[in-house]
Amino acid sequence: MPALILASIVTIILAVVSIFVGVSDVSIASLLAGGVDGRAMEVLLISRIPRTLALILAGASMAIAGLVMQMVVRNRFVEPSTTGTSESAALGFLVVTILAPGWPLMAKMGVAALFALGGTALFLRILRVVPLRDVLMVPLVGIMLGGIIGALTAFVAYRANLMASLLAWNMGDFSGIIRGRYELLWIGLACCAIAYIAADRFTVAGMGKDFTTNLGLNYQRVMVLGLVIVSLVSAVVLVSVGSIPFLGLIVPNLVSLMIGDNMRRTVPWVAIGGAGMVLACDIVGRLIRFPYEIPIAVVMGVVGSALFLYLLLRTPRGAT
Amino acid sequence: MSSLFRSTAIVAAVFAGVFSLASASIAQDKVITHPQGETTISGVPAKVLTQDWAVFDNLNALGVAVAGVPSSNAPSYLGDQVPADALPIGSLFEPDFEGIAAEEADVYFIAGRSASAYPTAKDIVPTIDLSVNNTEFVSGIKHNITTLGEIFDLQVRAEELNAALDAKVAEATAAAEGKGTALVLVTNAGKLGVYGADSRVAWVYNEIGMSSALDSVKDGDHGGDAVSFEFLLEVNPDWVFVVDRDAGTGESAGAAAALLDNELFNQTNAAKEGHVVYLDPQASYISMHGYQGVMLLLDQVLAGLNS
Repeated sequence: MPALILASIVTIILAVVSIFVGVSDVSIASLLAGGVDGRAMEVLLISRIPRTLALILAGASMAIAGLVMQMVVRNRFVEPSTTGTSESAALGFLVVTILAPGWPLMAKMGVAALFALGGTALFLRILRVVPLRDVLMVPLVGIMLGGIIGALTAFVAYRANLMASLLAWNMGDFSGIIRGRYELLWIGLACCAIAYIAADRFTVAGMGKDFTTNLGLNYQRVMVLGLVIVSLVSAVVLVSVGSIPFLGLIVPNLVSLMIGDNMRRTVPWVAIGGAGMVLACDIVGRLIRFPYEIPIAVVMGVVGSALFLYLLLRTPRGAT
Repeated sequence: MSSLFRSTAIVAAVFAGVFSLASASIAQDKVITHPQGETTISGVPAKVLTQDWAVFDNLNALGVAVAGVPSSNAPSYLGDQVPADALPIGSLFEPDFEGIAAEEADVYFIAGRSASAYPTAKDIVPTIDLSVNNTEFVSGIKHNITTLGEIFDLQVRAEELNAALDAKVAEATAAAEGKGTALVLVTNAGKLGVYGADSRVAWVYNEIGMSSALDSVKDGDHGGDAVSFEFLLEVNPDWVFVVDRDAGTGESAGAAAALLDNELFNQTNAAKEGHVVYLDPQASYISMHGYQGVMLLLDQVLAGLNS
């Protein structure tokens, strides 16, 4: 428990740093000098706090989505971007943008979530017919499915002259976040809460269908709950900030190395770790080319792929 | 048998050579120098292909009929000037070489996005690269119009176009004088980007002399960077020119206006004074090196500055 408190403190420090990093002059001194109606206070309320909240919400919920996905699929190397989920959400968002550009963002997000659900279900269906001798087969199948869905999406976007928008959606970036532009992400927090409440069920489901049924749980229902959480989180994050690669993969794995696989215990760790990692990467992205920004997807891609390689190389092949 | 065949072939070749020489001397060979080499054009080309909408725009302004055009991204301001029976010859980046070879055209123009097609295309069809360097925006466009005028024997028309363009640039420069700093913003899927001094939107600074609001920013060496609304608030330009990349479909028109309507941007000088000019997205991103495109953009800038 003390370790968890320590991790929380680190994340809170990162959040505070995030609040004070930016182009405008926001510091304790300028806040005090400007008072309640000053420029610094305004920037703090309109830009900095919303952005920091968005980072925490997106980071925590993407990491939790990865954790749930790993439990449901019973494989360490899956997360929404290696199961076709993110790609399906992007396809859904693209389709609804073309067919119903006037719809409110909430409705578009709903369509993206439905597509994500469909894509993930398709992935699970494929897994049932593919002989899986190796743990790495599962994410490979997912990445291939994601590639096919991504190609379809690119084709549609190309035809509709929306390639530029598609690239922007796929490139997670918090630079456009201000008050009024991130609130959908609270849905992600709700998903985290549900994942925490249902944590024991996911832990049991993670041990297999027969085991789950023997314990008197409806395996199918747990699976569907998991898929809904993963799809909803992927869609919400995609629509709000774009996709953030690797996060759902690395954080749960690092946590699992540290404290094991009991989801009741790992959920708070994964949520806090995800938020902390996203905060750190975004702060780096804001500082490297100050006052311009580097999208978090780029920073996360570099950090994430290095950590992913580490995880791959240290795990003995064949073990789950 | 084989020697008979060979001598027949030689005779045929000689005749063919004489004929081609004869026709060439009547039609006059023109050697066109362009960034990737020299291309010989014999006579006035009849069948014209282009892989670039800006070149199409210029040809259209000169009154030259075009047989083959890019298969996508037709700028809407060109409207029905694109002939309905024009042959699609591949995307802006990837020419359909087989289709182009089958056409046996007299000349084939590439530029910018399609410039890398030159090594392959030059062996198929007389190919001319009309790329424009963004640091020499207006002079590059005029140079292309002059070149096209020479190729198609339309020198007078070309001079008229160049004079009109010069006049419009002078008008915009006069209008821009003393109007303060400008910032060209590119919006895309809810995100903002700013572009540097050698980008396709830099003509606002380089050609009509609006001083860049970014000169006050420490790091001047940028090429398409994401920025935040806070950044806009601090840079505080007097004028903002917006290129809305989401408006590609036309249906999402107004996306940039909705994006910029927020508590931070509304505090900038530009927003307070209503000095926000939305540029035609296709003219400014796809065919900014075309005569009609750049005239349209300059008209939009003028309308904004004089309002």
